[in-house]
Amino acid sequence: MSEPTTLGSELTRALLERLTALGDDELVLGHRDSEWTGHAPILEEDIAIANVAQDEIGHAVLWYGLVEQLGGPDPDRLAFFRDADEYRNAALVDRPRGDWAFTMARQFLFDAYEAELLPRLERSSYAPVADAAAKVRREELFHLRHSALWLERLAHGTDESRRRLTAALDELLPLLPGLLAPLPGDAALAAAGVYPEAAELADAVLARVGAALEAAGLARPTLEPPADAAGADRRQRPDGVLAALLAEMQSVARSDPQAEGW
Amino acid sequence: MSHAADTQWPRWEVLKQDAEGKPHQAVGSVHAADAEHALLMARTVFARRPSAVSMWVAPAASVRSFTAQELAEREAPTERAPAAGAPERYLVVRKASHRRSMAFGELVGEVEGANVDEALAAALARLAGEPVLALWLVEARAVVRSDPAEADPWFGPARDKTYKQQSVYSSRATARQDAAKGVPR
Repeated sequence: MSEPTTLGSELTRALLERLTALGDDELVLGHRDSEWTGHAPILEEDIAIANVAQDEIGHAVLWYGLVEQLGGPDPDRLAFFRDADEYRNAALVDRPRGDWAFTMARQFLFDAYEAELLPRLERSSYAPVADAAAKVRREELFHLRHSALWLERLAHGTDESRRRLTAALDELLPLLPGLLAPLPGDAALAAAGVYPEAAELADAVLARVGAALEAAGLARPTLEPPADAAGADRRQRPDGVLAALLAEMQSVARSDPQAEGW
Repeated sequence: MSHAADTQWPRWEVLKQDAEGKPHQAVGSVHAADAEHALLMARTVFARRPSAVSMWVAPAASVRSFTAQELAEREAPTERAPAAGAPERYLVVRKASHRRSMAFGELVGEVEGANVDEALAAALARLAGEPVLALWLVEARAVVRSDPAEADPWFGPARDKTYKQQSVYSSRATARQDAAKGVPR
């Protein structure tokens, strides 16, 4: 276990931004997954996707908890009382759930990203990040197994399943750079060993995704590493999709902001 | 009675082991496209709580089941030459009591037989005198097992999840009553 780094004010600010983005990705994806509850193709998969949703939301609580430890707002405040323009999730995770192929393809891309991110985060010089990453990684192994299984079966299933999967990937792959692009403070975090170096992480994720698609018999896509500008993806909310998601997710908490429990 | 299949996917029986040294128990079934998918679905549906250390799935078609009545009415095997062919291995799963239980039956061992009749005779000989309310013979080669090397990612996370009864999540009304009584949350 690495010794906890004492963070200066610049690193603390950068880490708060990064932890918020990590939590927002997990929470928004978890909410999208939760929309399948009662609607999944078969009972067993309904339970499976609800499980994944619950795990992702649990991971958001972990990352938001670290924000709070560093002097930021508490997790409930972060989740329920920020508007869309204050969220920092990548566009990849807030797109509407689409069909099962879209949901599984998106989950696969996110799981492949986490499969590369989390082992690197476990080596973070900031011990609370390393500890949280170890907890998250344990659950993510199973998520990846599940989404990779679906990727393979949709690719090899029927003409229809392959058509739906291909359409989903056509929409999702251009959004992958937005998930991988560095935030403005990431370079300083990487220099301090707190967070992995963005370009190296992106290369690893793109290689993993490309290999998996090829193994499933899909055309290996040309995956470009993210341009620096792709980080702005996390701030652009052009179409109101995230705002609509948040309106639903936050409605109960905002109906009684003073409520302390349930 | 309808014979229509209840799903497009085949059914798999799930055998779960709660702890090292305990027998695998038949806990229910899942529908899944293939063996690997069935194992994932079994983990999803049955590994959450109580805890598990191992899980097996078997296609429903590989399971022969016998009720106590069927066993009692079964004709005693006539003396005949042993059937030809390599012996097949079967898992023997027994339901022993009507006691309320999360499991249908539990694994009592393995038997061999050139056919189901021989295997059944071997299973009943092994269980001589013990109560049998129902018996399964499961073709051992059809059983797909979780990888012991992956037991931690497979089953570990469920152990860390606290189980809460639904009554823990109080309504606004009960929360106010608790607050009035000074019950800490």
